[in-house]
Amino acid sequence: MDFALTDDQLALAATVREVLRAHCPPEEVRHGRDRRPAWARLAGVGLFAALVPEEHGGLGLRLADTVPALEETGRAAMPGPVAETVAAAPALLAGEPDSLGGLASGKLPVSVRLGEQVYIPDADLAELLVVESGGRAYALPAGTGLTHQPGVDPVRRLFSLAPSALDAARPLPGGDPRLALRRVTVATAAQLVGAARHLLDTTVAYAGTRRQFGAPIGSFQAVKHRLADVAIAVEFAAPLVYRAALSVDAARPTADRDVSAAKAAAGEAAEQAARTALQVHGAIGYTDELDLRLWLARVWSLAAAYGGTAPHRARLRESILSDPGRWP
Amino acid sequence: MDLDFTPAERDFRAEARAWLRENVPPRPLPSMDTPAGFEAHRAWERRLAAARLSAVSWPEEYGGRGASLVEWLIFEEEYWAAGAPGRVSQNGVFLLAPTLFAFGTPDQRARLLPRMAAADDIWAQAWSEPEAGSDLAALRSRAVRAEGGWRLYGHKTWSSRAAYADWAFGLFRTDPAAPRHRGLTYLMFPLTGADGVTVRPIAQLGGGHGFAEILLDGLYVPDDLVLGAPGDGWRIAMATTSSERGLTLRSPGRFLATADRLVRLARHTGADPALADEVARAWLDAEAYRLHTFATARRIAAGEEIGPAASMGKVFWSELDVRMHRLAQRLLGERGLLSGAAPDAADGGRWLDGFLFSLAGPIYAGTNEIQRTIIAERVLGLPR
Repeated sequence: MDFALTDDQLALAATVREVLRAHCPPEEVRHGRDRRPAWARLAGVGLFAALVPEEHGGLGLRLADTVPALEETGRAAMPGPVAETVAAAPALLAGEPDSLGGLASGKLPVSVRLGEQVYIPDADLAELLVVESGGRAYALPAGTGLTHQPGVDPVRRLFSLAPSALDAARPLPGGDPRLALRRVTVATAAQLVGAARHLLDTTVAYAGTRRQFGAPIGSFQAVKHRLADVAIAVEFAAPLVYRAALSVDAARPTADRDVSAAKAAAGEAAEQAARTALQVHGAIGYTDELDLRLWLARVWSLAAAYGGTAPHRARLRESILSDPGRWP
Repeated sequence: MDLDFTPAERDFRAEARAWLRENVPPRPLPSMDTPAGFEAHRAWERRLAAARLSAVSWPEEYGGRGASLVEWLIFEEEYWAAGAPGRVSQNGVFLLAPTLFAFGTPDQRARLLPRMAAADDIWAQAWSEPEAGSDLAALRSRAVRAEGGWRLYGHKTWSSRAAYADWAFGLFRTDPAAPRHRGLTYLMFPLTGADGVTVRPIAQLGGGHGFAEILLDGLYVPDDLVLGAPGDGWRIAMATTSSERGLTLRSPGRFLATADRLVRLARHTGADPALADEVARAWLDAEAYRLHTFATARRIAAGEEIGPAASMGKVFWSELDVRMHRLAQRLLGERGLLSGAAPDAADGGRWLDGFLFSLAGPIYAGTNEIQRTIIAERVLGLPR
């Protein structure tokens, strides 16, 4: 039993964090979306190769190995279909050696529509779209039949797909949409944890400098206790995300339940972080002037992706009340 | 990173499970907060000790098994899952002992620990005073220098297990001129068989005598019952309180067991979806605490100090415990309010006992308001 982060996990995360700090600052999140900031550099450190098998130019890692790095992409609110390309695509393109090579090199950004998902995120930034239909995966050329559906998140854009676009779809016989959905859901949960950590850090920093009544607002207990509650929520959501990743990697019988537990807990912790961040910032947080709004929107957007809290909670309720088997 | 128990860990679990299956009393013991119940729990502790299961993580020379932290967590899971009695020796084994290992002399360890493991001595904590609750450093009880030792004066209260325990440990002011966190000394003292100490049990809201006040009027304590250096008591006590808030006070095992019972209750009573949803959530929160603790155990084993982050766990488990017991009561309706004496009691009154006990959790070991302030200031770095 060794449920601690390994040096390799931490090293990959530290590298990703450094790259994002240098190449994906908030200005890039706000204005540089279409350039996919930091994408090529993260390809250079192997992020997109992580789950690609070694014989296809990948690193052959487990999903669990990438969770801390994926948290960092959430912390930076990195634009582009990151979770989809890192986590979902290798399972969908398992029977396509040429595509796997492209994936590993970072030259093939992929977005997906899996499970109950209605929209395709960041479809305009992907070179390849994979959609699930009747339990099978199909590849679509980028750019066909897409309609942008503008919404609260100006960076993680949602697109609907015309049903007729499926006529031109190519089946992906080696693809495993079920595994891809599990993985991308866990990856999204990891990003939510990262986004929540960013919101907590920036709000703590703001509360330490903003003064009212002659004192930093962060010295008031009402503010302290709300932020402490966010810290607790994030602290106890994160291990569920790691467990889900290990569970998916090992195809445990509890994998679906563990994925739902991770997504629901991470989504709720991040929404609590967002709500508290806005409240502590006050009116300035309610403006476009601060970058805060980008992270708020990202949390709302990711919390709803790949099943919002409600369907995951419903699945958990059924699963736990019928058989709450523990793992380990 | 993995979640796979080693063969040795699995063997240990199997051994603990088998022993508990053979030995756990089929019916709950009477409350440890009554004289007869206290002695029944002491007898249970002796049975555990005879199997060297009363303090598994201690070194063998003191009555333990030298078990790793993970093995101890496994033992706790099995212990609570088996429905075994509450630990009357909790204060000594899990609060004082870690402090003795860290700060005690070899002589103190040799004299005190084996008797503690064998439940020959049962310990109470004596932190709070009438004017020093959350603000522990406001304590006023004094220890005055005497020939070869100290004489204790003052008034301790809310002392868990003190009504029937043999010994207690707490802080005393030994240098009244020093700043309030200084000049405090960590002392151990007898509760029975000595002059100058009076114990008055306090009836709790559930009726039992789970705590007491301790009146000290010149009780003599020799120097070899000072833990650490005189004047260094605050630092030493804080080491104990961080174990108290952290995993040694409330390992995940008991919450996992409660969560499993709650799920069975929800299934049995046919909970509506809204309640069932909350039950599932509580079960998962117990899981989250468990996973978090496995990660923490690994960090402790690697020599890391957990420090103020332990406060996050304390808030989390204590509020989870209240929530689970409230849910059970909502599932049970009026039956949930019946005690074990009632013919219709649910599960021998255990849900009610557990509910009342859970309500103390957000208060003891530092109220959750204090914990949130600690988290904000010392984990997050917000200004004081």
